[in-house]
Amino acid sequence: MSSWPIHVFNMELRRTLTYRADFWVNFIGQTLFSIVIAYFLWSSIFETLNVQTLNGFTMERMIVYYLLVPLVFRIQQGQTIGSISREIYEGSLNKFLLYPINFYGFKIITHFAGAVFYYAQIFVIIGLYQVFADNPIFEMSFLKLFYFTIAMLGISIAYFCLNSLSELVAFWADYIWSLGVIIRFAVSFMGGALIPLSFFPEWSMKILNLTPFPYMISFPMKILLEEVALKEFFLNMTILALWTLVFLFFSRVLWNKGRYRYTGVGI
Amino acid sequence: MIKVEGLTKQFKVHKKTPGLKGSISSLFNREYIIKEAIKDINLEINQGEILGLIGSNGAGKTTLTKILSGIIHPTAGKVSVLGFDPWERDNRYRKQMSLIMGQKAQLWWDLPAADGFLLLKEIYQIPDTQFKQRLAYLSESLGIEKELNVQVRKLSLGERMKVELIAALLHQPKVVFLDEPTIGLDLSAQKAVRRFIKEYRKEFNPIMILTSHYMDDIEDLCDRIIIMKEGEFVYDGSIKQVQQEYAQSKLVTAQASPNINVSEEYRKFPKSLGEIEINDNGKITVRSPREKVMEAASYLIHYLKIEDLNISEEDIGDVIEHIMSKGKEA
Repeated sequence: MSSWPIHVFNMELRRTLTYRADFWVNFIGQTLFSIVIAYFLWSSIFETLNVQTLNGFTMERMIVYYLLVPLVFRIQQGQTIGSISREIYEGSLNKFLLYPINFYGFKIITHFAGAVFYYAQIFVIIGLYQVFADNPIFEMSFLKLFYFTIAMLGISIAYFCLNSLSELVAFWADYIWSLGVIIRFAVSFMGGALIPLSFFPEWSMKILNLTPFPYMISFPMKILLEEVALKEFFLNMTILALWTLVFLFFSRVLWNKGRYRYTGVGI
Repeated sequence: MIKVEGLTKQFKVHKKTPGLKGSISSLFNREYIIKEAIKDINLEINQGEILGLIGSNGAGKTTLTKILSGIIHPTAGKVSVLGFDPWERDNRYRKQMSLIMGQKAQLWWDLPAADGFLLLKEIYQIPDTQFKQRLAYLSESLGIEKELNVQVRKLSLGERMKVELIAALLHQPKVVFLDEPTIGLDLSAQKAVRRFIKEYRKEFNPIMILTSHYMDDIEDLCDRIIIMKEGEFVYDGSIKQVQQEYAQSKLVTAQASPNINVSEEYRKFPKSLGEIEINDNGKITVRSPREKVMEAASYLIHYLKIEDLNISEEDIGDVIEHIMSKGKEA
């Protein structure tokens, strides 16, 4: 059996590390940025309302939430955002059509490789928090680590399939960057990256729970910050898997139809 | 072997009126036109043949290459390459073909070429020993051994083309499509690439289809040429044949003696023997009809007291340009 997936994974990791400055600026900048915004915004909300707890969130819990949520979001986004549509638009899809490998397989591996460093970063931050916090609001265990890893793997695949749906529209509409932005915003808002989902009205949560979004951000955050029972874990992962199959089915349809329209511009 | 029957490719192209008004109206109402890039062509290429595809921009050369390599779908017609339909993207076919795009890098830009080759080794499942042997042979033939560990984006254009050639040939394809492999290269790099392609072909005998705007590439490498115009073949045959069939004149060049009054003799040259041109250095060029060429040469020897004389075929580029401009009536 060919080991090209391992090589692609390996190459993508090295490619990311080629730009060391960007890697560190991204890591430190993003963490600081997120913390500063969360601190100023939520401390003024807590002060104005004059409360210690808001929808189950203390100020410390809120800060920890906003410290970790951007990394969870970035793990699921991996490295393929915009790359499929760019390849269709610029014609660099040609080389993937020539290689005797599966294009989707190649892309999902680069997607995972892009996520690895964010995955590592989240544990660096959790580790630092556990060491330096006087009384950490959550504890890590091997079971949590295991649940989180499996969940992020599934979420990453689900996001890849959802995102590829929007990217494949490039076969028809050339440049569809804004569609990707809308999907990112939808996942981020309805998943709980902008505001924790416990702040949403109950009726809206009933609807949201039928969509894949809460399982993509709020669920892994719950694994880290709370305790998730095995039954709940399985149920959420099953819903996510079903949505992934739906996305995969439609992206296969778009791919098969779109290929007929592809003109391979640029050569 | 490649066999193409009744191949047609149409593109639906968005027609945009120029200016801001056109851009705004195209947001709501788009007009499309059907562009026929390839019109009902038939083609057969045998193992070991090297075919040059010539034509001006938009003639359909690259579209044909894309269809044969399986990148785009034909609107009508049958295509068979090594017994496969390229559109099906059967891995058995993809492992036997290669497309080298002069204008588009296939290797990973941010990594050294050597890393890209290792990935291609896995993609094409090339055994270790064969991979090492082939890489040594290809890099040595192209004189690029030292640059294999440099990031691709830091290589010069010529070096980049050489590593792209290695990447495309590592799996020893039976069909090689070369789309403008020497574009943008300086003369010595162009020569090196041509020399390499010739040697490679001698050694491995693949089918090669070469698209190039440089006549030197075509003349030097191709046994057979196809001239395309507006999606049709206007000529299919050997380079020699194109000269014999379409070049109605030959070139007689000579160096006039410094002792004679060139401009006076120039005026006396009989028009029936061809068109004469003399430059400031006394170099005479006569474009003479094929049947009059000996007469023209003899006139120059007797009346212009020349020091040197040469008879040659017309420049192949000029002949092809003539065919391209006239189309099938040429």
